[in-house]
Amino acid sequence: MAIVAIAIQVTGAGHRRAELILVAGLEGVVPLAVAMAALTIVVRENCRELHLSLPTPHLVTIGRRLGVLGAITVAACVVYAAVAVVAGFRVGPGGGVLVWIAPTLWLAGFAALVAAISRSTVLASSAVALVWLGELFWAQTFVDNAGLRPLFLFFTTRLGDSPGWAGNRVGLLAGGLVFLVATAAVLLRPERLLTEEDA
Amino acid sequence: MTALLAVARYEFRMQARKRSLWISAVLLGGALVVLQGERGPHHLPLDTPAREVVGTWALLFSILMPLAYGMLLADRLVRDRKLRVEPLLESLPHAPATRLAGKFLGGVAACGLPGLAALLIAVATELPKRHDPALIGWALVAFAVVTLPGIAMVAGFALVCPTLVSVPLFRVLFVGYWFWGNMLAPGLLPSLTGTLLTPIGDYAATWLLGNGATALFAGTPGILPFLRPDPTAATAAASVAVIVLFGLIPLAVAAFLAHRNARQTWPAKA
Repeated sequence: MAIVAIAIQVTGAGHRRAELILVAGLEGVVPLAVAMAALTIVVRENCRELHLSLPTPHLVTIGRRLGVLGAITVAACVVYAAVAVVAGFRVGPGGGVLVWIAPTLWLAGFAALVAAISRSTVLASSAVALVWLGELFWAQTFVDNAGLRPLFLFFTTRLGDSPGWAGNRVGLLAGGLVFLVATAAVLLRPERLLTEEDA
Repeated sequence: MTALLAVARYEFRMQARKRSLWISAVLLGGALVVLQGERGPHHLPLDTPAREVVGTWALLFSILMPLAYGMLLADRLVRDRKLRVEPLLESLPHAPATRLAGKFLGGVAACGLPGLAALLIAVATELPKRHDPALIGWALVAFAVVTLPGIAMVAGFALVCPTLVSVPLFRVLFVGYWFWGNMLAPGLLPSLTGTLLTPIGDYAATWLLGNGATALFAGTPGILPFLRPDPTAATAAASVAVIVLFGLIPLAVAAFLAHRNARQTWPAKA
């Protein structure tokens, strides 16, 4: 997305459009990428039986892996946003932290929960794709409906920081935390994850 | 030929029995049926021609259902490597291209099952209202020109690309591509939406509608204007051919590389 934004800026197609692409990269692409990685972390494990025999609970192992994913995401997004700001672009209120962290937490939490319940990367990645594309496809419905607005992942890209932005971000953060707690509850019985092959 | 059919049949049976294929297809197809809105096929007037009704259903299902097929097929070749059976398969007398082609054909056939089932179920719900048996015939036509070419293109890339990038990265790129290359209006950003290369079946669906309107963006001005002719029966046929051929490109490249690797490594093994 950064390359696309640079290309748009260089070709003179407009500073505002390049800025929009940069924000879309943070708010749209990052959550999708992190969600796909998160569901893979939960489902894919070649030595699950070995992990279950160790004193460290399997939930902690998966939590640490998700933590590493989160740390990498934070580092990459902070660098991305900093470079964009230095280049003269505005990536959202407060340096754009909530632009990416809220939808990322929500979608990654959702992906992890579906993966933990279904034990299937195919099903979990299809569900993530459905939510991500569905929110893009029916964006206006999410904007117009007060009940759906806290679940809208692309608020900044679509409406900027207009009224309702903070509520949307809080809603996404809260939803993401609920998903992660639910995932942890499912993973407290890690033997459920045992399977011969991805179904 | 026997080896090709054997691989295709085995692959087909293995994929068609996967619960995740059917659950994902029901999830994605069902979401579209529920959320189709007033422009959806369910709201077409009763005197709408059968081909238009079926064309609208086929387009509706091809918006999201191919995502499930891409997710499913993404680990087919990687899995052979992960399970360490790839060298064993390479030692078999048939060429690597045969195995690739068999996996492709079997995968396409298995993914075609839920696609065909969705269309036939949609027609079954329309028949009592419209009393037009032509719906069944048009459903088969729509499956052949809208659904199947898209599956072929998705299958070609989903089988080969994850061997070059990782499976999770392929899935991210695939979802992003599906929006960018099929649904993003060409006026917003340069995209492949509305070209002959659109695997969603825009041109074929526009031909099926037959009412002068475009299904989505077929022929809308944008980048690569030579890929955006006016939607007609001829350009719809060209689109089907281009989509299928485009899906075969990664397979051809993978087959060539596998053949070259086999020629290079075989003497060393001996």
